[in-house]
Amino acid sequence: MAFEKIEYKPIPVRELLREMKNLSELMIDLAYSAALFNDRELAEDVLELEKRIDTLAYQLEMMTMIAARDAEDAEALVGVSKVASAADKISDAAADIAAIVIRNIGVHPIVSEIFERVEEHLVKVKVHEKSILVGKTLNELDLAPRMGIDIIAIYRKNDWIINPKAEEKIQFGDVLIARGTSEGLKELMALCEGKLDKLED
Amino acid sequence: MSKRSQRKFEEIVRRFVELKDTSELMIDLAYSALLLNSRELAEEVARLEERVDELHTEFELLVLSSGFKKEEAKGFLGLVRLGVAAEKIADAAAQIAEVVLRGVEPHQVLKLAIEEAEETITYVHVAENSPLVNKTLKEARIPEETGMWVLAIKRDEKCIRPKPDTTIQAGDILIASGYAEGEEDLKRLAAPPQGFA
Repeated sequence: MAFEKIEYKPIPVRELLREMKNLSELMIDLAYSAALFNDRELAEDVLELEKRIDTLAYQLEMMTMIAARDAEDAEALVGVSKVASAADKISDAAADIAAIVIRNIGVHPIVSEIFERVEEHLVKVKVHEKSILVGKTLNELDLAPRMGIDIIAIYRKNDWIINPKAEEKIQFGDVLIARGTSEGLKELMALCEGKLDKLED
Repeated sequence: MSKRSQRKFEEIVRRFVELKDTSELMIDLAYSALLLNSRELAEEVARLEERVDELHTEFELLVLSSGFKKEEAKGFLGLVRLGVAAEKIADAAAQIAEVVLRGVEPHQVLKLAIEEAEETITYVHVAENSPLVNKTLKEARIPEETGMWVLAIKRDEKCIRPKPDTTIQAGDILIASGYAEGEEDLKRLAAPPQGFA
């Protein structure tokens, strides 16, 4: 396995840590869904994100090393490095879950069946050119009260937007990660694919 | 599949869901503990860590004693690994909480990275006469009414991760965070003063 060489880049620790925290939490959701619904594509996304987190962890460690000039700095920064390593650990756990799918171990189908009844679902869906969602902000769509679903992330041009803000506009080609009731998600998928051209009130 | 093994499965999955939910609840609480430098919340996370260890053992014993057939072994292995991962997530959350418990003043950078609009944390007791009783969290619209976000619900020694369809009961303790102004609103909603309900 080839590991990427990681060079020092002056990225603020705040940014690195924020991204590590957000990505690691997204990974948990994606990984459980991948395992319970035996979704290989989602599992592969999780492993991709895991690599990204590893890179961030290296960069963050370099930044904190440089920032600590004396004992006082070291005491103030040790918490940062502990939290970053916890986020890294969370992403490792998510990757372990994804590996259940990648290694063809799988989870007993009855587990998924029972799980489906008690837990919220997650879907990954691409926004089609003809979808009426294109150009609308999440705020305008008001998805949570209307359909009981929540867009937890948008994958756009090789980048993740996690917990998108209400003003975020949906673009053609976006991949939405949404969580919620299964009926709501079905409706969302139809809307994204352009099969449904009206939001129900 | 026989009725008996179906029931056994249900029980195993129920344990797993509790394990999973608890570990995720711990992450939320741990970051909030850090953001607000709250020892109380951090201690809650440490308590939940112990609970997860117990749950995990119970869960594994249940899987091991379920008498699965050879061809089902793989499906069970997947389940066991899910349990291990949930436990690892709980450990990570406990590691975050530990920073607070060790009395390290959380660095400004941590607060900036967590990005939540939290100023305060509050514990409110839900009274019998509260309009929240028997409502689901979705129906209760607490964030809209008060600006406070329910992080966890404490009920009979248990700490529950709130979901939209979780029903609020009289006697629950809501652990909520948000802007300082929301605290009084939430208290009034959870325990309306007599005569105002």
